[in-house]
Amino acid sequence: MKRGIDKILLIATIIIAIFGLIMIYSASFVWAEYKFNDPYKFVKMQAIFFLVGLIILYILSKLDYHIYLKYANIILLICAILLILVLIPGIGSIRNGSRSWFGIGSLGIQPSEFAKIGLIIYVSKYLTNNKKNMKSIIKGVFPILGVIGFFFAIIMLEPDFGTAMVIVLTLVVLIFTSGVNISFFLKIGLFGLVGIVGLIIAAPYRMKRIVSFLNPWSDPLGSGYQILQSLYAIGPGGLLGQGFLKSRQKYFYLPEPQTDFIFSIISEELGFLGVLIVSFLFLVIFYRGMIISLKSKDMFGKFLAFGLSFGLIIQATLNLMVVVGLIPVTGVTLPFLSYGGSSLLVSMASIGILLNISRNI
Amino acid sequence: MFFNDIHIRIRFVIIVMIIAFLLIIGKVFYIQVISYNKLSKITEDLWSRKMTINAPRGDIVDRNGNILATSIVTTTIYVVPSQIKDKEKVSKDIAEILNCSYDDVYKYVSKHSSMEIIRKGMDLDSAVADKIDKLGYDGVYLVVDSKRYYPYGDTLAHIIGFVGSDNQGLSGLELTYDSYLKGTNGELKYYSDGKGNKLEIPDSYVSPTKGMTLKLTLDIELVKAVDNELRNATDKYNADAALSIVMNPKTGEILAMGSLPSFDPTNYQNYSEEIINRNLPIWMTFEPGSTFKIITLASTIEEGTVDLFKDTFTDTGAISVDGGTLHCWKHGGHGTQTYLEVVENSCNPGFVSLGNKLGVEKLMSYIKNFGFGSKTGIDLNGEGNGILFKEEAMGPLELATTAFGQGISVTPIQQITAVSAVINGGLLYTPYVVTSVTDDISKAIVFENKPKLKRKVISPETSATARFALESVVSNGTGKNAYIENYRVGGKTGTAQKVKDGKYMVGNYTLSFIGFLPANDPEVIVYVAIDNPKGVTQYGGTVSAPIARSILLSAIETLNIKEQSGGMLKEYSYLDVKYLVVPDVVGMSKSEATKALKDFKVKYSGNGDKVVYMSPSANTFQSVETTITLLLN
Repeated sequence: MKRGIDKILLIATIIIAIFGLIMIYSASFVWAEYKFNDPYKFVKMQAIFFLVGLIILYILSKLDYHIYLKYANIILLICAILLILVLIPGIGSIRNGSRSWFGIGSLGIQPSEFAKIGLIIYVSKYLTNNKKNMKSIIKGVFPILGVIGFFFAIIMLEPDFGTAMVIVLTLVVLIFTSGVNISFFLKIGLFGLVGIVGLIIAAPYRMKRIVSFLNPWSDPLGSGYQILQSLYAIGPGGLLGQGFLKSRQKYFYLPEPQTDFIFSIISEELGFLGVLIVSFLFLVIFYRGMIISLKSKDMFGKFLAFGLSFGLIIQATLNLMVVVGLIPVTGVTLPFLSYGGSSLLVSMASIGILLNISRNI
Repeated sequence: MFFNDIHIRIRFVIIVMIIAFLLIIGKVFYIQVISYNKLSKITEDLWSRKMTINAPRGDIVDRNGNILATSIVTTTIYVVPSQIKDKEKVSKDIAEILNCSYDDVYKYVSKHSSMEIIRKGMDLDSAVADKIDKLGYDGVYLVVDSKRYYPYGDTLAHIIGFVGSDNQGLSGLELTYDSYLKGTNGELKYYSDGKGNKLEIPDSYVSPTKGMTLKLTLDIELVKAVDNELRNATDKYNADAALSIVMNPKTGEILAMGSLPSFDPTNYQNYSEEIINRNLPIWMTFEPGSTFKIITLASTIEEGTVDLFKDTFTDTGAISVDGGTLHCWKHGGHGTQTYLEVVENSCNPGFVSLGNKLGVEKLMSYIKNFGFGSKTGIDLNGEGNGILFKEEAMGPLELATTAFGQGISVTPIQQITAVSAVINGGLLYTPYVVTSVTDDISKAIVFENKPKLKRKVISPETSATARFALESVVSNGTGKNAYIENYRVGGKTGTAQKVKDGKYMVGNYTLSFIGFLPANDPEVIVYVAIDNPKGVTQYGGTVSAPIARSILLSAIETLNIKEQSGGMLKEYSYLDVKYLVVPDVVGMSKSEATKALKDFKVKYSGNGDKVVYMSPSANTFQSVETTITLLLN
C-alpha cells in the first residue's frame, strides 16, 4: 500500500524553518549592521540556504531511501575524506577556534554536519545487516563503535566538541534501539564519563565551562559571560516577551545572538509563549519521525528514520539545555533556528529522507 | 512481533526526550516567571545608564514664612565617554567654557567608565549651561542640580547649620532634620547597547521631589536686630564673644538666637571646628552671676522666708561666711535696706542672708526644679549641662556663693528658660526652635512641635511678686538702662568674673542682662551676654542692659506689643532725661494748653484757638525734650 508523504512533518518543518528565518533577522540585524553595514546580511544568506534546502528536501523526498543502503560505504568514505581535508591548513579554515570549515567566500561548509547523516546511514545499514551479530558485544557492537570512535576522533581534532557529542549520542542511542544488551550501555555510560573527565584534563577550558555553568556569577565577565547574558535575555521576556524585534540583549550584550543562543533572543522577544510554540514544533517533528520509524516495514527504514529524527531532537535538546543553563556550554546549534547554512541544509535533508521513508509505511 | 523489542526501546526514547523537553520548559518557566523580578532588575541596570537628579532640599522658613535656607537650581555636566567621538575637541571646547584646563576635562572624557561627572562642571549657572548645551555634543549631558543657599549668611549659621557637597546635612538643623529636608532624588535614564552607544528607546525621566519645609519659631526681623546689636557690641567693646536669646516665656518658643563669633555656612571649611560646633547660647557654660539671684529670689518668695517689703538687711559691704569674707560689689555696702532694695541693688551680702534662710536642701531643690544642672532638651545639637555643687558637699560658703550666682556654671538657655518659669506664673517649659515639618506637595503636616510643659516650679502668686521685684530692678535699681518709656520692663543684671583653671581672671568678666516685658504679663524675654568687653566699666547694667533694651524695642515692633500705662516710674538720677506724663489738652484753648504743657516744648499748627489734635497723644510718658505738636482749629 503506497501512501503520500507525512504532511504534518512537512508543514511543521516549513513553519519552523520560516520562523527561524524571521528570528534570525530579528536576532542578527544589529550585529549584521555593525559588521557588514547591511542589517539583512545574515537573513539573506540564510534565505538562500533555505531555498536550496527546500530543493534538497523535495529531491530527497522523491529519492527512494533504499539507495542509501547501496551507497552507504561510499557516502561514509567521502565524509571521512572531507573531515580529514578540513584539518589541513590552507584547505580548512578556522572559525571560532575550530578548523571545521571549507570557506567559499562568505559561504562556508561544515563537513562534520554532513558526516552526521553519513554516519546515521552507515550505522543503520550496519544494524540492518548484522541483526544477529548485535547480540554479541565483541562481534557486533565493537566494530561499529570502532568506526564511530574514528569519526569522533577526527572531529575532535578540529576541535568541534558539540557536533562530535551529538553524533556519538545519536549513534549510541541508535545502537541501543537495535536490541543490544542494556548492561552494555551502563558500561559505556561509565566509559563515557571517564572519557569526558579525560577530555577536561586535556583541555582545561572545558572545566571552566562546567564551573561557569554551576555558578555563572563566579566569573561574570569571563567563562560565565555567555550563560549570564542568556539568562538576562530569557528572564525579562516574562510570559509574553518584550515583543518581536524588541530584544535588548542582541545589542552587543549577547555575542553573535543569531547562532547558538538564538533561543535566548526568541525567549526574550516572544516570552514563555514563544518557548512553548518552539518546543511544540520540535516535539511534533520528533514525534512524526518516531511514528515513521515505528511504522516503517523494513529494518533499514526503521533505523534510518529513528537516527535522523533522534539526531535532530538530541541536537535541539542539547542546545536548549545549554541556553537555559541546565548543562555547560557545549557549542551546539539549534536545528532550523540557528544561523548556519550547513546545519540548515543537513536538517532539511534529514526531513527529506524522513518524508521519503514515510511514503512506504 | 518481529519488531517488538525495537519498538519498546523507541517508545522508551520518545518518553525520555519528552521528559527532557519538559525539563527545559520548566527551567524556562523558572527563569521567566519565578526569577523574573530579580533578572529584570539586573538587566534594567545593565541596559540603562542613570544620571541622578538631586532633589532640591526643602526650605527652612521663619515663623512668618520668610525663607532662611533654600535651594537654587544649578546644572551639572555628565559625560558618557563611549558616546564621545572626538574626545580632544569636546574636552577643548568644554574646558574653554568652564575656564579650566584641558586636562581637567579630558581625564573624565577619556575614562573607561560608563559615566562620569565633571567635577569642575558642577553647580553651573544657566548661562554657562546654555553655552555647553549649544555645542550639542553627543555623550555630554546637562542635568539639573541644586545648591543650598542661605540668604542671611552667617546670621543663623549655628542654628541652621550647613550641607556638604552632595547636599547632605552636616550640622545644625540641616543635619538633625536631614531625613525630612533631603527630598527624593530623581533620575534621567537612557538605554544603551553593550558597547555603550545610546539606543533609540525613549529616555525615562523620574522627576525629583523637593524636600519638606521646616518652619521655625524664629522671627527673622528679630534675629536680624539681635545680630546687629551683637555685632555693634563686639565692635564697640572688642568682646571675645557675644550672645543673645529671645524667647516667648509662656511657650518656650525661641524667637531669636544669635552669637558671635559665627561662620559663613557656604564656606564652612574656612572656619575652625570650635567656631562651627559651639553654638554659644546653648553650649557655653559660665558663672551666671547676679542674673542667678532671680532664682534665689523666687525660692525665697515661694518659701516665705522673708517679707520683701518689710524685712530689712544691713549691708556693711562684706559678710563673713565660714571664716571667709564675701564682699558686696559696692564698696562700703548699701547700708540698711528692705529685701526688695536688696534685689534692686543686687546686694551680694543680702543674697547670702537669703540663701542662709533657705538652707542648702531647699535652695538646691528649687535650682534643680528650675532646670539647672541638666539639659533643657532644646531641639538643637550641642547643648551643655552646666555644673552645680554637689549637695552633700555644700558647706556655708558654697551655699552663700550659689545664692548670688557664683561658683556654679549654667548655660544661657538654662538661665532664660528658668527665668521664664519665674515670670510666667511658675511653669517650666522645654525651649524649642522647630514649629513644624510640612510636606510641600500634600501640604500635610508631618511633624509638629507644641509647647511642652516640664513642671510647675512656683505658684502664680510668687511669680507675680517676683515680676514686681524685677520690674523695680529696672525702675529703681541696677537695670535702669533697660527702661523703656510706656512699657513695663522687668529684668536683672549679671556681672560674673570668668574662671580659668580654677582661678578668677583679673578684669575678665561676662556681662549679662535678662529682661522681659510687659512686666505684668510677659510676652517676650531677652537674654544678653557679652564676654570680656574691654575699655568699659564692667557691669552688666552698663554694657548688656542697653543692648537688651534695643532688642526689646525691636521685639515691641516685630511682635506688635501694645503700649501700657500703670507701670513703675523710673527714679531719676541727675544725668537722666526726665520723662513726664503728657496731659490731655484736646478741647482746651491755646493758652490753657500752653499752661498745661509747661514742662514740654510746644509747637502749634493752624490758626484757630482750640486744640483739636495732639501728637504724641495724651497720657503717654514723654521726655521733657519732646516737642508736642498741637493742631489748632
